[in-house]
Amino acid sequence: MSSSPSWQVDVLEYAQKCIYCGYCSVCPTYKELKWENNHPRGIIEQIKLYYFEGTKEELKIEVSKQLFNSVFSCTMCHACEDICIVDIPLLKIWEQVRQEAFKKGRWSPALLSLYNKVKDTHNIFGLPPEERTSWAPMNNLNMSKRTLRKAPVAYFLGCQASYSGKMFDIPVSVVKILRKARVDFTILGEDEWCCGSPIFLAGGYSIGKSFAVHNLEMLKKLGVKKLVTACSGCYRTFKIVYPRILGEKWDIEVFHISEFVEELFKNGKLKVKNKIKEKITFKDPCELVRHCGLMEAPRNVINQIPDVRYEELPSNRKEALCCGGGGLLKINNDELVKKVNEHLIDEIEYSETDIVVNGCPTCLDTIRTGTKKRGLNVEVIDLSELVKRMVEDKK
Amino acid sequence: MTLKKKVRTKFVKNFSKRFRDDKTTLMMYARDMSDLPTPVKLLFKTIPNGVILPQSTEEIQKIFKLAKENNVSIIPRGNGTAGFGGAVVYNKGVVVDCKGIESEIFLDPFEQSVIVPPSILFNDLQKKLKLDGFSLCVHPSSIYSATVGGWISHGGYGVGSVKYGGATDQILELEVVQPNGEIKTTNSKEDISLFVGSNGTLGIITKVKLRIKFDIPLYHRGCTYDNPEQLLNGLNELTKTDAVSIWFFNLQHVKEINETFGFSLPERYVVIISKEISYEEERDEFNKKFIDVIRTSGGQILDKRYIQNIWDIRFKTFALLKKYQDYIISEAILPTKQSSKFLRKLIAKFKNRVQFEGEMISPDKCSIIITIPFEENISPIQKTMINLRLFKQVLKSIKIGGSPYSTGLWFAGYYPSIFGKEQYSKYREMKQKIDSKNISNPGKVLSPRVKLFPILTLKYLIKLVSSVL
Repeated sequence: MSSSPSWQVDVLEYAQKCIYCGYCSVCPTYKELKWENNHPRGIIEQIKLYYFEGTKEELKIEVSKQLFNSVFSCTMCHACEDICIVDIPLLKIWEQVRQEAFKKGRWSPALLSLYNKVKDTHNIFGLPPEERTSWAPMNNLNMSKRTLRKAPVAYFLGCQASYSGKMFDIPVSVVKILRKARVDFTILGEDEWCCGSPIFLAGGYSIGKSFAVHNLEMLKKLGVKKLVTACSGCYRTFKIVYPRILGEKWDIEVFHISEFVEELFKNGKLKVKNKIKEKITFKDPCELVRHCGLMEAPRNVINQIPDVRYEELPSNRKEALCCGGGGLLKINNDELVKKVNEHLIDEIEYSETDIVVNGCPTCLDTIRTGTKKRGLNVEVIDLSELVKRMVEDKK
Repeated sequence: MTLKKKVRTKFVKNFSKRFRDDKTTLMMYARDMSDLPTPVKLLFKTIPNGVILPQSTEEIQKIFKLAKENNVSIIPRGNGTAGFGGAVVYNKGVVVDCKGIESEIFLDPFEQSVIVPPSILFNDLQKKLKLDGFSLCVHPSSIYSATVGGWISHGGYGVGSVKYGGATDQILELEVVQPNGEIKTTNSKEDISLFVGSNGTLGIITKVKLRIKFDIPLYHRGCTYDNPEQLLNGLNELTKTDAVSIWFFNLQHVKEINETFGFSLPERYVVIISKEISYEEERDEFNKKFIDVIRTSGGQILDKRYIQNIWDIRFKTFALLKKYQDYIISEAILPTKQSSKFLRKLIAKFKNRVQFEGEMISPDKCSIIITIPFEENISPIQKTMINLRLFKQVLKSIKIGGSPYSTGLWFAGYYPSIFGKEQYSKYREMKQKIDSKNISNPGKVLSPRVKLFPILTLKYLIKLVSSVL
């Protein structure tokens, strides 16, 4: 695993900028683990020791144990970077340290296994590409005419929506919405490769780049100008990582489904046909709100519902709580995910909502697990599912 | 670096994985917000022998029992966000990271109080209170990082102090595990005031009942002054408006704010005043009073369009340090009536490099954070020398009725200047009674002996060296 110089940041130089104010105490995993080693400012202190040339090899090895463990205990929720008053690009630094851990052969077996799966099969589940489209026939949809055809818009499903039965509501809803709005769109089908998000989160550059190059080539071949996705992880990758990696070659406009649907409502291509009577709340996915600054589009879409009973969660928008499932933490420390998730479930319980709407398959899965465990009578759905309910013809 | 084997085994046996003494962890707990220059580090042994993350009052009792039996120093730590060395080890010992002490938060809307564990961060507490329509009366400017227990031990003031007082006035009840292992629950102001600012030398706080208030929106106004005399006079007058916060900064600081945040504030001494306003008539009345005060104190009203922008950076002014290679920070409490010469000298001494921002903490006193930034890298020796010169300046505030903000390690020995001689004798009496072996945070509050020159206390050594500079 190698990386281009432009991909890298000067880890030590940034670490020296830390003023130890401790504002990054917002970190959701630090709040659970509580040791200074897991505090973002503590990780920075460890980085200073590890990357400083004058540090003795023996101490470096000692420090690396805690340091690598700490960077893999991060959900990459971006809360620390958002609040950092001296603008340290903490997540880029963590990615680089994760890459360093790979070089030193210190990845966990589970992470290594995921990495190899993605590398070999181009999806996070290690399943064959032929199964990428199986969600369609299973839901009585025929996507053969939509697959790999020339179109200005492409719907990028992402691995979870393509392969995970728990997430099939998402592609079905998106496709129904796009059809309803008569959008000329295509999907990549078996030629869709993972966006590379897990690889990039693990600090991978060269493999991740090959994924970006492949996806760009496929989209270009089909003449795609706009890319829609309902996965916030894919969205972040297309919006932030691909431009960083591909530069100007990446000239495709990227939309989260919430932004795309907002436009469709504005242009009158979609109309609300059904009221939703239940009380609704929206949980901002970290990758949308903090990484990409997208927070109003989902709310504008939900507000299309006449007389909507909408209420924000106590922590919302940029202050939204992390579900705990991001940053590869699920495969590194599932117990920690549950602990972090508890706080979000507390807020959902407090809000006494009927429906929690979300825009990220990872959050969706984590929140569903948490609400089920707590025994809450609440429905957790993707925004696309809500929109489908809003616009579909009454039976 | 580690504890004696027998002692270590006892800690491991009792705390299992919540006791750590690997090199990395120990190094992570060897500092607070201010990192010591290398020459100063020679005077101390700041790397602890172990760190414990206790979870309950009973475990704190157990820690003190073990510490006493085995003669191990205990250093309590909140979130390490102060810069006075209060949570830094002076001469070996075991750090007790209090962030593990958690308990239910109990809000009493009738008494207007909330019971919290010491580990809670102010911002988290404030968010919880706001959900029920309440707010803290006072919180530190480090709201995002300070814990309630740490703030009390540090001797906290903060936003709201000018109206609602300091930490002592906020605490309705305190539960502390004393070094002798006894749990003391007290609501006596006299007792509480001894624990405030005592840096954990009288024990570890395990529960706090804080005063709260209804969450009333703040209305902000601002004004500017030409010089320190006008500023201090204005601050005095502004306290008559019943404001909840009076925040100010000098023109060097204003220049930096303009540059960093893209504002265009007038380069003068700026004051932002915040008042709780419930209804329109109250706002009109405040505006009238505010304009009167500005008129009599020779200030100029700051255009309203600046105000919200400035308030948005209220807790982010340390961002100004990002473009600098190094910096030195200290904090002092000043009486507003006698401090103009002090401020002028402070500015002159450091050739106009000094930036300060302050907050009124009572009708006649303010606290100021003094920052000296450096565009270039400075050597550890230079840093130490400038630190000592600033230290000396801060001590000069004592002559005019001011004091350092807190004792911690650096200002150990100055407790009487901060809290008064009467309270100091009560403190000593209590310390002697409950911790005669001085196991709870030694080196803090009472000045320790210097390792290399045991005939000297740290207080006199620093005073001696700084007087030469």
